[in-house]
Amino acid sequence: MTFIEVNNASKKFRINQRASGIPGMIANLFAPKYEYRQAVKDISFSIEEGEMTGFIGPNGAGKSTTIKMLSGILCPDSGEIKVGGFSPYKDRKKYVGNIGVVFGQKSQLQWDLPVLDSFELLKAIYRIPEKMYRDNLERFTEMLDMSGFLQQPVRQLSLGQRMRADIVAALLHSPKIVFFDEPTIGVDVAGKETIRQFIRELNEKDNITMIFTTHDMQDIEKVCDRLIIIDEGTKVYDGELMGIRERFGTTRQLDVEFVQECSVEPIEKVEILELDQRKKRFIFENRDVKIDELMNELLAKYSIRDINISEPEIERLIRRIYQGEVS
Amino acid sequence: MENCMDVMHLIGVYTKTIMKSWFQYKVDAVLRSLAVFLRESTGIIVVYFTLLKFDTLNGWNVYEMLFLFSLLFVTYGILILFFTGLRDFGHTVRSGGFDRFILRPRGLLFQIIFVNADWFAAIGHGGLGITLFLVSAAKVGIVWSFDKVVYYLLAIFGGVLIQGAVFLFLATLNIYLLETGSLKELFYWNARKFAGYPVSIFHRAIQIGMIYIVPFAFVNYFPAQFLLRKEDMAAYPELFLYLTPVLGIVLYLLAYLFWRYSLKFYKSSGN
Repeated sequence: MTFIEVNNASKKFRINQRASGIPGMIANLFAPKYEYRQAVKDISFSIEEGEMTGFIGPNGAGKSTTIKMLSGILCPDSGEIKVGGFSPYKDRKKYVGNIGVVFGQKSQLQWDLPVLDSFELLKAIYRIPEKMYRDNLERFTEMLDMSGFLQQPVRQLSLGQRMRADIVAALLHSPKIVFFDEPTIGVDVAGKETIRQFIRELNEKDNITMIFTTHDMQDIEKVCDRLIIIDEGTKVYDGELMGIRERFGTTRQLDVEFVQECSVEPIEKVEILELDQRKKRFIFENRDVKIDELMNELLAKYSIRDINISEPEIERLIRRIYQGEVS
Repeated sequence: MENCMDVMHLIGVYTKTIMKSWFQYKVDAVLRSLAVFLRESTGIIVVYFTLLKFDTLNGWNVYEMLFLFSLLFVTYGILILFFTGLRDFGHTVRSGGFDRFILRPRGLLFQIIFVNADWFAAIGHGGLGITLFLVSAAKVGIVWSFDKVVYYLLAIFGGVLIQGAVFLFLATLNIYLLETGSLKELFYWNARKFAGYPVSIFHRAIQIGMIYIVPFAFVNYFPAQFLLRKEDMAAYPELFLYLTPVLGIVLYLLAYLFWRYSLKFYKSSGN
């Protein structure tokens, strides 16, 4: 069943172009100049119930705008968005009871009060039944190892602890859909791992539909099955995480360790990087260069100690997609 | 009925949370009410001693002036309890707090009002208002019949709503402008400074502003006139004496419609 359906959604922002200095300020007052920025352009996708989708793109690509349209904060200029049968913007009050949103950069907890007080407040806001509240609190506290700091004021928590508390805050009312907007930002390696495992487990056991934005490729590789990449407001990739290698992973790299220091003659259509004095990396496109021919050539010309063929890392691929090198 | 209980319960939890937050810094919480009280009193003390030299101002003696002031502070005390969130709405928008309100299954204005209720400032302003009322009411010759008590309560209600409408209108402008601090300074705080004095003493242009543009005259001057009947009332239509509650409701409704209409233009604040 299609759970989230986005059809040709677009959103434009009007930005006031302020000239600098006092004359500029006065000019702006009487004849403001505006510039329009298309944050999201004709985006369409659909997500099934229980899917775990990574949503990535460079800064300013339109990720946050899309999340905000999906969660009902922003109204699309054109196009249609349906989530679980609701139109997020129009049916706000009924809709938002079904979703949870974690903004990694903006806490929803009460800064001066113990974590538990914020949870009690959410219980009242979302009208969470006593039993559901107790069960969820107990389960999540256990899973995220939070019992040690539930009574501590939020301002005294470490970033990792605060983030865990924020994630629980978004889940207490048992939402059917959860949006994670950079939920691991600034968290240390161990903390990130705890958060990823928790999200993964929750997605599998409770069949919660999740959308996840991040800049950390490890997050994506460890958590998501599906990937949507957007850049400059348009969708550039939508499919399985592994499919990205098939579609864009046409480069290969060959790390060669020579027996002794040597210089390598340039080879047509192969990029050669010097790793250290005796190690070199050969990067090339599959369609341009046959790997066996290249290896034969190298073996014939030089004495070689070791060869290592590797596929490009997802992170590298995605960086190249951002840079528009592949399409 | 169940719905009403639920809302009351939530207001209770919000209030408890606000109190708890404030009492994290106990001394500050208590001092805050006192500081507000003293800060606002200073202005009154200056007027008091100035008037002692002049005897009357356009026919208004010291106690009548204090009574005029008391209406301003009593209404503001109630206003600040309910409308702090609207006064500070620009900050809420810029910090992303409003995004969070949208994500919660409760009314937006309801959340803005009850999440930010400022009990301590309310005690400071309201306390000053009540003090001024107690000092002046007995000395200005009002006979507190039943009618007059009802009128007084309605006038307070209307006065709160008139100022609430100004706050709501200015808050709505934040959706378009992000920053409206200087407009608030101009249209609310400056108007309020004039409102401390009988509107009849001012130049015609200021009177028009106080009656027709930001109708502060209906918050305290005309209600005070109803109770005191000073001679300078002759310059205004008799009808003005009764308009305060109606004007409050009408202006608030208009501001509310403007708010509802503007919400779809909300742009969020970006990351």
